[in-house]
Amino acid sequence: MSKLTTGSFSIEDLESVQITINNIVGAAKEAAEEKAKELVKAGPTLFPGLESYRDDWNFKLLDRYEPVITPMCDQCCYCTYGPCDLSGNKRGACGIDMLGHNGREFFLRVITGTACHAAHGRHLLDHLIETFGEDLPLNLGQSNVLTPNITISTGLSPKTLGEIKPAMEFVEEQLTQLLATVHAGQESAEIDYDSKALFSGSLDHVGMEISDVVQVAAYDFPKADPDAPLIEIGMGTIDKSKPFLCVIGHNVGGVTYMMDYMEEHELTDKMEIAGLCCTAIDLTRYKEADERPPYAKVIGSMSKELKVIRSGMPDVVVVDEQCVRGDIVPEAQKLKIPVIASNAKIMYGLPNRTDADVNETLEELKSGKIPGCVMLDYDKLGELCIRLTMEMAPIRDAEGITAIPTDEEFTNLVAKCADCGACLLACPEELDIPEAMGFAKEGDFSYLEELHDTCIGCRRCEQVCKKEIPILNIIEKVAQKQIAEEKGLMRAGRGQVSDAEIRAEGLNLVMGTTPGIIAIIGCPNYAEGTKDVYYIAEEFLKRNFIVVTTGCGAMDIGMFKDEDGKTLYERYPGGFQCGGLVNIGSCVSNAHITGAAEKVAAIFAQRTLEGNLAEISDYILNRVGACGLAWGAFSQKASSIGTGCNILGIPAVLGPHSSKYRRALIAKTYEEDKWKVYDARNGQEMPIPPAPEFLLTTAETWQEAIPMMAKACIRPSDNNMGRAIKLTHWMELHKKYLGEEPEDWWKFVRNEADLPLAKREDLLKKLEAVHGWEIDWKRKKIISGPKIKFDVSAQPTNLKRLCKEA
Amino acid sequence: MVDTTKNTKLFTSYGVSTSKTVTPEMAAKLISKAKRPLLMVGTLTLDPELLDRVVKISKTANIPIAATGSSKVSLADKDVDAKYINAHMLGFYLTDPNWPGLDGNGNYDTVIVLGFKKFYINQVLSAAKNFSNLKTIAIERGYIQNSTMSFGNLSKADHYAALDELIDNL
Ligand code: SF4
Ligand code: SF4
Ligand code: SF4
Repeated sequence: MSKLTTGSFSIEDLESVQITINNIVGAAKEAAEEKAKELVKAGPTLFPGLESYRDDWNFKLLDRYEPVITPMCDQCCYCTYGPCDLSGNKRGACGIDMLGHNGREFFLRVITGTACHAAHGRHLLDHLIETFGEDLPLNLGQSNVLTPNITISTGLSPKTLGEIKPAMEFVEEQLTQLLATVHAGQESAEIDYDSKALFSGSLDHVGMEISDVVQVAAYDFPKADPDAPLIEIGMGTIDKSKPFLCVIGHNVGGVTYMMDYMEEHELTDKMEIAGLCCTAIDLTRYKEADERPPYAKVIGSMSKELKVIRSGMPDVVVVDEQCVRGDIVPEAQKLKIPVIASNAKIMYGLPNRTDADVNETLEELKSGKIPGCVMLDYDKLGELCIRLTMEMAPIRDAEGITAIPTDEEFTNLVAKCADCGACLLACPEELDIPEAMGFAKEGDFSYLEELHDTCIGCRRCEQVCKKEIPILNIIEKVAQKQIAEEKGLMRAGRGQVSDAEIRAEGLNLVMGTTPGIIAIIGCPNYAEGTKDVYYIAEEFLKRNFIVVTTGCGAMDIGMFKDEDGKTLYERYPGGFQCGGLVNIGSCVSNAHITGAAEKVAAIFAQRTLEGNLAEISDYILNRVGACGLAWGAFSQKASSIGTGCNILGIPAVLGPHSSKYRRALIAKTYEEDKWKVYDARNGQEMPIPPAPEFLLTTAETWQEAIPMMAKACIRPSDNNMGRAIKLTHWMELHKKYLGEEPEDWWKFVRNEADLPLAKREDLLKKLEAVHGWEIDWKRKKIISGPKIKFDVSAQPTNLKRLCKEA
Repeated sequence: MVDTTKNTKLFTSYGVSTSKTVTPEMAAKLISKAKRPLLMVGTLTLDPELLDRVVKISKTANIPIAATGSSKVSLADKDVDAKYINAHMLGFYLTDPNWPGLDGNGNYDTVIVLGFKKFYINQVLSAAKNFSNLKTIAIERGYIQNSTMSFGNLSKADHYAALDELIDNL
């Protein structure tokens, strides 16, 4: 029997009947798989499955970067045999031990994040194909390598929306396989959950890549544009005299209809549209390929959601998907702000008005008969949200609705505090609210004011306060001046790094003369406050690192100014170059960060991408000095993004809260046999320095994170100048932030030319005196001592199969 | 005398096993008895009141310090045996019997922790709690449920007093 394929055909004897098949589930992928297999140059893992990367790559990574399990709970309550006490690595009734169970928990987070991005991509892909057709070209700027993550996994290089479908189906199929493994009585070995998590991470970057390339192409986002426009950011940028539509979430699909409606009705200067979280980033990219003057604004990160609503400023709130708070409806309802749910992933139990008449729905919402509604028809959504905003504004203005207390109410509320300490115990940031209340009673509000930036607006404190003090409102009250001054600039997300940029930077990155790529990404669950990421970005920019950024991190970097009133985006260029501050875009744009590293291997080093993940990752791990920073990572998506970086050999530092992901990947720097690779020229083992010393770990403070990241950019392939530059930065930063020079700097020295130039003599003395190295003082040369030899043409690899004589 | 054993209130629990509370006197005894103790300090010890007591504990009982986070900045000129190490990495290495320690002389038998946010140290210590026999003693202001022994929740003033009492008993 021959297989059905898409296309038209006639049935014999029934000549006038023609049947057209547009789509057979799985057919596109099947055909693509066949095609991909024909690729002559492809690597061993086209369309990989659960096991494909395990032995050849993942286990090699996990042998050096060991899983560090830090359980969040003694118990497992996953099936009805339980709950089981697994403390002390006991086994539960089903036989799984504490390690395995926590591997499963971490893995569950990673596949959840992967699913989020993949579902986001599927939604956009279907919607955009419906709107623009399958043949819409993937115009992403002047590059040949457009979809490195898709190409690595599937061997495909789609050029149109329609050609993306097989890659989308591939991710969805593998996610189903992965999800099946968390069933009780399936996988139980921690190490295999890690391998599967790494695989899921690689899928996540495919899903993100799909999400971003389709929106960049169809919505006319900036296309690898270093000069993408500067966007206003911060609560203080909202003109309170205008009607204000606030959009929250990650999927910009619906918002484009609102913006179209505003533009068609010439309302762009008569009302405000601004967003929170990644929807905000993507709405400011809409139609910006030609750098038109932007009018949409960014309010800020997820931690501002409740704060903005409590301010009473929005006249309408629209939510789509991902990282949207669960209490938006009750909170908004108190302040008469209608909530529109525009994506089927979050419907909040609201009445569905998708099929209803817009005028009738408008009346229902205006009168407060319903607190909000579901609206999944985008044409109606555009009209409804804009008209509702324009009509709600005068009503709400007349009533002057805000949750921020008056001066008198404030004084009375503060006076009620009994100093019981319940809020301090409940606060996830461990903010000393009782102490601040105490000072406020005496008229000193500075302590309360200081809480504002660290407070993530979660209201756990309010729920335990027996005196029913609206603690968040109290904090926001004293921070009013600070909030009014929250005005910054952020460069609109520019999309992927172009081939030309990679060609220009490739050699510097591999030799180490560009000290590294620092990727600041992720959410706002910071330990100390928003400004942390600004300090980190500034330090690395001053030192000529390439700083790439996405998501909430990209926003928070733009919130602060220097003495001259300039933000970092104004002070540093937007290109992928030494000292460039590159806002790639929203969370899904993270695929272009891994993509940039992959493109170094593909374009600069001519490595095959197709089906070749292990070799590409091996190349990145050994040669591309890059380190991620997800300083406030809170979400499951952040765990999948980070894990996708990890499988590709890119280490990441997380903030202290991220220890709650339960699993880190840390190497034993003291075990010498972990620090060897092969020289691909002859298969001989060669020792390497212990860097990067982790793939995933946490730092306690931003001051600690900086030297850790600088150190994590050191790679075996650095040439002498590159190593000297990297050592200079790391040693200086260690001294600056940790009070003294690091102890283990000498482990990275292969010969005298590796030593930081300014300190060469001094360091040679230390090598002689402290470490017993032999120095030829006449020629200022090291005669003996280093365990690692320097050979400029060595080709470090962890994959024996890539070696010539292997 | 400060009663450090009373208030063990939690907002959320890690489950079945939680740390035993200790008095400053008991803590001092355990620390003095340890064969290879390590004082693990976090960045909250930048607070001068805490810093002063960290230095006293280290000097009085002759205990080396693992200066995690960015705590080393303030310890650099205090004439104590302090070395920087990342807390998460230390938490992992402490579970490895083959770790040579900060001084090359092997792993430790007792770790005293001070100067961390609760959520962080609880998480870091949960590796040791589940996968090693290491004894951990938390002398923090808050009750640290994942250590082997801990003070209960204290006011700032009581915490300082408890630390002073501990130092007096070393
Ligand atoms: S999955 Fe296993 S460990 Fe968890 S509750 Fe069920 S039997 Fe117990
Ligand atoms: S709302 Fe702010 S102060 Fe209150 S518990 Fe949450 S983070 Fe702490
Ligand atoms: S819970 Fe309420 S009464 Fe108790 S200290 Fe906090 S604010 Fe004061």
